[in-house]
Amino acid sequence: MRLDFFERHSNDDAPLQRLDARIKLLATIAYVILVVATPIGAWNILAAEALLLAFLIGLSGVPPRDLALRWVGFLLLFGFLTLAVAPSRPESVHFGLPLVALIILAKDSLAFLGTLLLVQVTPFRSLLIGMRKLGVPATLVATLHFMYRYLFVLTEELDRMITSRRARTFHPSGRLDWGLLTGLLGILFLRAFERAERVHAAMLSRGWDGTIRTLD
Amino acid sequence: MHIPNAVLDPQVTIATGVLGIAGLAYSLRAVDKQLGERTTVLMGTMSAFVFAAQMVNFTLGPLGVSGHLLGGVLSAVMLGPWAGAVVIAAVLIVQCLLFGDGGLTALGANFFNMGLIGSVVGYAIYAPIRRAVGGRAGVLIGATLAAWLSVILAAGAFSLELSAFNHRADFLRVLSLMTLVHAAIGVGEALITGLVLRFILLTRPDLIYEPDADPTRIPLANSFQAAAAGLAIALAIGIFLAPFASEYPDGLDFVGKTLGFITNDAAVPVSLPVLIPDYQFPGLASLSLKWATAAAGLVGTLVVFAVGLSLARIISRPAPKGSPDAA
Repeated sequence: MRLDFFERHSNDDAPLQRLDARIKLLATIAYVILVVATPIGAWNILAAEALLLAFLIGLSGVPPRDLALRWVGFLLLFGFLTLAVAPSRPESVHFGLPLVALIILAKDSLAFLGTLLLVQVTPFRSLLIGMRKLGVPATLVATLHFMYRYLFVLTEELDRMITSRRARTFHPSGRLDWGLLTGLLGILFLRAFERAERVHAAMLSRGWDGTIRTLD
Repeated sequence: MHIPNAVLDPQVTIATGVLGIAGLAYSLRAVDKQLGERTTVLMGTMSAFVFAAQMVNFTLGPLGVSGHLLGGVLSAVMLGPWAGAVVIAAVLIVQCLLFGDGGLTALGANFFNMGLIGSVVGYAIYAPIRRAVGGRAGVLIGATLAAWLSVILAAGAFSLELSAFNHRADFLRVLSLMTLVHAAIGVGEALITGLVLRFILLTRPDLIYEPDADPTRIPLANSFQAAAAGLAIALAIGIFLAPFASEYPDGLDFVGKTLGFITNDAAVPVSLPVLIPDYQFPGLASLSLKWATAAAGLVGTLVVFAVGLSLARIISRPAPKGSPDAA
């Protein structure tokens, strides 16, 4: 399974994991806003924020290696955008371009790692229940519940389809061509929708009326 | 196109955040009125599908641009504009929380660009075209054109968000660069949307969202929808022509931005302007950029129209307006 990395430690018995999901969600949002709002050049604040995050990661028991690996991926993806944005910041006149780019990247990384930590210490299901209790509309939360359920089913289905396709055809590049690609997506779409119809019928027969009821 | 946290200005973050939340709240209310308890299951599945589909990358041949399906128009065509927007919102929330893809504070901007523009504006373009052409051909031509235009409009909105406050002078250049790159990505979006829809039309045409079959739908006057579509299309065309309105002299920072954007995002080699001091050849870079952007707009429109038309031709002759075949 290629999507399971965020569920590995969220059920551990550690101080952060035991906290209420609502507190963790609000704290994460506050932390990200704080990091983003930190003015360029405020070194002390930035360092304090980084220390706080490092402390929380240590407390959570999540192996730093896991987070570091994701962080490298993040740097590769978003590094270029930072470089593109940095020249037009008014602060770059004063601090110089490389420094400003570095600070923006640092702020982004802290916000990224803070968000990742949240899901590492909170099962997504509890997070959704917490969202609902915080007043997020029921329709959106229910959609997210269903999405989370089918996420794994569909990505695994896609994996299986790609694997079996590769087993049957010689394909030197490993890349899928257009005909294959859309056939794949079309079939995946149909299977997803027909599954939804079956699941919906099964749920109706068990008394589904549109509200998700939980025990907690 | 997922905007990370510290890239946008605070004012833009707040403005797009408010817009995004308001748009999402409206979409959710519309969905609640519209379809009832069946919706959440369908929207959840559609979200999961869009998420899975976004993992499949495609390359656009010689251009070297790699992209993936955004899915806004596709979900709007399948579930209607508001449910489509909720689907994209769910995808963005999951990508942000679970994968750190797109910033928590930029969720509003991302939802505005991909959800509201992708689904709602995309649908506003799709629906009148579909009605005018009619039948399955209408679905395909409308959806491919809407997919392409929505990507262009999203790129335009992103440029506006990126350069709204700090560097207004660079707006038109950011715009033309973003448009150039996304003219290509948009063709990919249009192709995938069209091909997947063709597949659905051939196998389960009953799954396509049918506004007329929906007794409780939000009443949208035809003229209003046509006006919205016209406005959206005019805006998209305006994005391609905007560089011609540029009167700003070239600055060194523009060259930096050109490099920053192009070498990393699109791998289009335009290192030439760096070697030339920009005060000697004012407007060289922006001139070629202008023409390139306008040409991209023209070529892209033609390509996408041809795609929609040929897909439609493969599937069937255009059915008469309002026939039952339109399902």
